[in-house]
Amino acid sequence: MRRALLIGGLMLSAAISTASHAAGPSILGKDAPDFVLRGLDGRNLRLSEFRGQVVLVNFWTRSDGDSRLQMPALDRINITYQRAGLVVLGVSVDDDLRRSKEFATAMGVSYPILFDTGSQIGKDYFLQKMPMTILVDRAGVVRYSAVGFRRGDERVYLDKIRELLRE
Amino acid sequence: MNLKDRMMRVLVCGALLSPAWTVMGATAPAVAPAKSVPAAAQPAAANASSADTPPPAEAPAPPVPAADAPPAELKTLDQEVQGLKKDVVDLNKDLFVLQEELLFPANTQVALYISMDVGTFFALDSVTVKIDNKEVKNYLYTAREADALLKGGVQQIYLGNLKVGKHELVAFFTGKGSAERDYKRGASINFDKGVGAKYLELKITDRVPKHQPEFLIKDWE
Repeated sequence: MRRALLIGGLMLSAAISTASHAAGPSILGKDAPDFVLRGLDGRNLRLSEFRGQVVLVNFWTRSDGDSRLQMPALDRINITYQRAGLVVLGVSVDDDLRRSKEFATAMGVSYPILFDTGSQIGKDYFLQKMPMTILVDRAGVVRYSAVGFRRGDERVYLDKIRELLRE
Repeated sequence: MNLKDRMMRVLVCGALLSPAWTVMGATAPAVAPAKSVPAAAQPAAANASSADTPPPAEAPAPPVPAADAPPAELKTLDQEVQGLKKDVVDLNKDLFVLQEELLFPANTQVALYISMDVGTFFALDSVTVKIDNKEVKNYLYTAREADALLKGGVQQIYLGNLKVGKHELVAFFTGKGSAERDYKRGASINFDKGVGAKYLELKITDRVPKHQPEFLIKDWE
């Protein structure tokens, strides 16, 4: 009986783990919807201008604990792989722009933080739960999508990033 | 002459005539016709006959395919693929033209372009366009796009439809002015939309005497 429960529990946790990395059904394999957003430093950045590079886009909100946990991990990835052709973009989808900017400044990450004040990008990328991370290949196609973040997830990102950088 | 003598004479004549036929190039009856020669023996027979008879003077050499040239079938297939690709491109072009004509027919079409001249006193950041007090476009410029405009590029910022009659267009430009100051200016134009397409141009130029940028809207008749 105990063994059955244990196996059931393991299967359930595996299913949950898979679900947390489940790709958005309608964005994977498609061209990443283009956007242009203002950055923390005042510059505007357009996603399509990074065509030819692998782009990791991380949608986050200030209030989400997972986002706070994820940002330092993404910062390490950015520092390590930016010379290899990786671009990391953080996109804040907070409504409160001022507080979001304060939070981004306090986090002090090395990659650009952009601020989305509209709702179009959320619709285009089917944002439901934060944080959401997508990987766009050199041709501008979404190749990986993950919702949520737990410690160790950065290893999955790294595997995918290396795979895309090698292409 | 009895039968035995006759047979002897025929054999002797045959023996005498055989070398004569060979010299004259005629095929001796003993040599079988080419068709009856087995395949394996054909080259040998051909060699033998070519040794005896001179080759035809102007016989064209059979085409020898180059070692690295693709086979003819592959070449044809490649040509077909290229042809299909061209058809797809042509079809795409036609569809695009049809779509443009359907979505933006000439009688209601309004096209808005933007251009920059010099840009010493203004660094463009964004443009907001309102037609009849309704926002139709809000465009953020990246450094590359602004640079392209400074180099003489002209961008179609808006394409839409408008009824025939009077309309008002207002454009707001934001960016950095001289001394890195935030700068926001507007320009407006009242125009008559006729039955044909309407083309308007937003122009950003430097007004050197005043050390100020100038924002104009030009109506292309």
